[in-house]
Amino acid sequence: MSELAPYDHTAVGRKVLISLVPVICPPQYVHLANEIVDHLALTLGASPPLLRKGFDAGLLTYDIGALLSHRRRAHKLSGERAERYYASWEHGPTPLHTQFARALNQLMSMSCYEQPEVMDAVGYHVGPWIEEVKQKRLTVFKDDSAKQAAQILAPDPLRPSFRIDRIKRPNVRKAGA
Amino acid sequence: MVAARALHEGIRPSNVFSREDIHGDTVIDCDVVIVGSGAGGAPMAAELAEAGFDVVVLEEGSYYQTRDFTANTTAMIRQLYRDGGATMALGNPPILFQEGRAVGGSTVINGGMSWRTPEEILERWVKDAKLDVSPAQMLPYYERVEKRMHVAQNDHDAIGKDNWLLKQGADAKGWEIIPNLRNQAHCVGSNRCAFGCPTGAKQSALVSYIPRALHFGARVYSNVRVDKITMHGKRATGVVGHVAEDFGGRGYNIAVRAKLVVAACGAIHTPALLARTGLSSRSGALGGNLSMHPNVKVVALFDEDVTSWKGVHQAFQVREFVKEGIGTFAAVNIPPSLVAMSLPHRGAQLGGLMDRYNQMVVAGMLIEDHSTGRVRTINGRPQAFYQIDDRDIATMKKGLERLSDLLFTAGAKQIILPLHHATSVYSADEARRVLAQPIPAAAWEVVTVHMMGTAKMGRDRTSSVTDNFGFMHDVDRLLISDASLFPTPIRTNPMETIMALATRAAGHVIDNARRFLS
Ligand SMILES: Cc1cc2nc3c(=O)[nH]c(=O)nc-3n(C[C@H](O)[C@H](O)[C@H](O)COP(=O)(O)OP(=O)(O)OC[C@H]3O[C@@H](n4cnc5c(N)ncnc54)[C@H](O)[C@@H]3O)c2cc1C
Ligand code: SF4
Repeated sequence: MSELAPYDHTAVGRKVLISLVPVICPPQYVHLANEIVDHLALTLGASPPLLRKGFDAGLLTYDIGALLSHRRRAHKLSGERAERYYASWEHGPTPLHTQFARALNQLMSMSCYEQPEVMDAVGYHVGPWIEEVKQKRLTVFKDDSAKQAAQILAPDPLRPSFRIDRIKRPNVRKAGA
Repeated sequence: MVAARALHEGIRPSNVFSREDIHGDTVIDCDVVIVGSGAGGAPMAAELAEAGFDVVVLEEGSYYQTRDFTANTTAMIRQLYRDGGATMALGNPPILFQEGRAVGGSTVINGGMSWRTPEEILERWVKDAKLDVSPAQMLPYYERVEKRMHVAQNDHDAIGKDNWLLKQGADAKGWEIIPNLRNQAHCVGSNRCAFGCPTGAKQSALVSYIPRALHFGARVYSNVRVDKITMHGKRATGVVGHVAEDFGGRGYNIAVRAKLVVAACGAIHTPALLARTGLSSRSGALGGNLSMHPNVKVVALFDEDVTSWKGVHQAFQVREFVKEGIGTFAAVNIPPSLVAMSLPHRGAQLGGLMDRYNQMVVAGMLIEDHSTGRVRTINGRPQAFYQIDDRDIATMKKGLERLSDLLFTAGAKQIILPLHHATSVYSADEARRVLAQPIPAAAWEVVTVHMMGTAKMGRDRTSSVTDNFGFMHDVDRLLISDASLFPTPIRTNPMETIMALATRAAGHVIDNARRFLS
């Protein structure tokens, strides 16, 4: 059967994204560039194929577009020049540029704030919280939860007088997979 | 008692199948095949299975259990959301919308708000579409759904500070704010509803109707995508589809022969399934009449710690402005990654704001839209088009003005409006001034999770797609059971309405079993 591979960035795409981490992510997280860009590939992998193709094409255009204004490809720009080049997309010249810059910002910010170190830094400790409240429900509310579970399976026909076996019909072959 | 195990953790019930169980092209026979296992599909499966029908449910998404729902937000999104949550309705602005793709459908990722259809809306449906859905006629179905899913108010001590702030603001303004009714049994406030409830408290279809359907003998095939309904003349005779492999691959073929076909793929995918089958409606309304309850969110910053991620998801709703088309205001905590994603800031500025994540309250509002869009099927895939009109934009502005007022009254110091260029405001007056300016449509950040109306019900076949129960006009044995049935938007959360309509339609099938089983 079909053996499709998970999505990965193109070589150029990866370089462009790495160069954008200092532009989009807060400075204290720039050392996580590889992790952020890897995470972004996972997100793109789950998105519609057309969007992925558009994103790859957009990155290539972004990379080459810098030749015009900066005489270097975008992935080779750093510091102030990388910043200015991204800002030129962010504010125009066409809605497509703006939308692509916005998409880059959205995807990269999301990947940045999904890094465990970053979540920890902003004080989001959801894992232990889930464990704590899960335990509470399993203990304090054990009996009520069991009652609800039993209710779900208890007979309660929508039409109590209905009997399907009174209906003559051809045998149904139960063919499981 | 196979399905009792589905309620507990560990073993996949023996009548839930997944791609690993299918080793070749497969043909299945049954009485009723249901495509989609969400709010419309799951109750239908449970009711008909309990009545003795041989039911097969086909679901494109995977089967998960409570223990699979972890703290890894984006992993959950990739697994549980269609297209990783990145689905867009095209228009100006484009609207990002989300749908679940898993056994249990969108109920697995929804917030659990469970509200009956407003009476005024039902009365409108009775009057305009001539449906037998008066509040009195619907009452037994709501009651049944509410019992099954344990619809109740939240435990007081599980409500988080963001929600108390919302209430404090509304109370100070003298605005109507009500406790949310939710399908939960002792929700303990992990605030992870949108990523699969990790405590088992939320009574989504996955832990209520699906186990019940399995218990009464239904078979659920996960990872099966239905391509088409098979037809014999005007009669639906089953479906054909394939095993949905990872990364969009196509596996073995599956055919199901059935006496009744139920399409419950949701308001975006049901019209696409019908279009792929070659069906159309003489009303021209199939795929049209798409309502979305457009939704905008603000991020409010307080001086104190709020730690919004600790507490019940949406414990209250402000209902003061319903008559003006502003459905609700609610506090909706979202994890840092999704807040960061929604902010147009970057670099040090983004870092500065996000360092205050624990002082943030995210609050949203939905509007009852007048605009309608359309789902078109392009190369077999649905694409939604939706152009929000000026009237709805004006309602959004009015709502945002009031929501900002409420949050400043509750003590917010800064509010970031849902506009692309990050408009921060520091007082209710400033919010009013900013929102009074003309704002280009493209500047709005609009999202939604309520898609409805693309196969609307009605007695008149020249203006509706489906009949009084959801059977497609002019087609035999094809029942639709999902959010596409709504003749109009309903200005409140749609899950309970979908489930009640599904239960009502199941009753009709049982009452007419002889006909449907012939
Ligand atoms: C994040 C989120 C939060 C929400 N919060 C609330 C809330 O708090 N309260 C509320 O009332 N509503 C809420 N909603 C909306 C509510 O969950 C939906 O309106 C409702 O579940 C829609 O029911 P449905 O049966 O139309 O579709 P769904 O529940 O989406 O089910 C459709 C199913 O069909 C499957 N499917 C589609 N096409 C195919 C195919 N070709 N083959 C096989 N399977 C297919 C899908 O994978 C999906 O599982 C929320 C929705 C989301 C996404
Ligand atoms: S807030 Fe309640 S219902 Fe939602 S995920 Fe947490 S425990 Fe479950």
